[in-house]
Amino acid sequence: MAGHDAGTQHQFTGIAKYFNSYTITGRRNCVLATYASLAAIALFFKLKPKKKPAVTEK
Amino acid sequence: MMLSFFDQFMSPTYLGIPLIALALSLPWILYPKPTPRWLNNRLITLQGWFINRFTQQIFQPLNLKGHKWAALFASLMLFLITLNMLGLLPYTFTPTTQLSLNMAFAVPLWLATVIIGMRNQPTHALGHLLPEGTPTLLIPILIIIETISLFIRPLALAVRLTANLTAGHLLIQLIATAAFVLLPLMTTVAILTAVLLFLLTLLEIAVAMIQAYVFVLLLSLYLQENV
Repeated sequence: MAGHDAGTQHQFTGIAKYFNSYTITGRRNCVLATYASLAAIALFFKLKPKKKPAVTEK
Repeated sequence: MMLSFFDQFMSPTYLGIPLIALALSLPWILYPKPTPRWLNNRLITLQGWFINRFTQQIFQPLNLKGHKWAALFASLMLFLITLNMLGLLPYTFTPTTQLSLNMAFAVPLWLATVIIGMRNQPTHALGHLLPEGTPTLLIPILIIIETISLFIRPLALAVRLTANLTAGHLLIQLIATAAFVLLPLMTTVAILTAVLLFLLTLLEIAVAMIQAYVFVLLLSLYLQENV
């Protein structure tokens, strides 16, 4: 498709070095981070203890 | 028994034997194979030229590793174009109007391209899910959108072929019925409808060839991303 950016003209520092949308590894890391976040959110809601309503004596 | 317009799309069976097997074997039966001798006749030469030209066209943008798929794509193209064109003959059944058949083509081939990409070059395959130069705020949204679009690809491939062919056949049947019914009532309108039917048939011949080509072209593009 479009030519891959080797990322040589970009000098990233800090977190942008690993998570950016210009280099192929940066894009890969963004994708993996997004998937991991979605999996974490799903896992959080799955493992969240459900509140049982209090049982009142009749 | 009242015939509906959708009866032409029912998978035909005879005494419990599914005739779709016969319909699917026609592209294999109808094409003569090249002779083991030095030169072929004119028809086979033309056939070979067409297959070579098509394969060259499809594989030009693909790197060497993707050329392993040449036989598969060439035979798939020939198969689809033959099924589509044969279906334009009156009273024939077109197997490519069945979503099940088209999904059976699209899903395994698409999945193969994805698995090849993930195995051989996982960084590139995953990196494709985020377009280059995306603004930071849009990154998560775009990744989700691109993932959805990745999984929709086989569905789109299959439904595109099914819908185009089904709609074309249905239109032909409707307009032919209209021309036939109008003939004793409004002859001039019936003649105009017949002209429309003729033009539609020409369009459907083009659509039959184009849809087969588009199917294989898109698969080659998906392969290009992953190989």
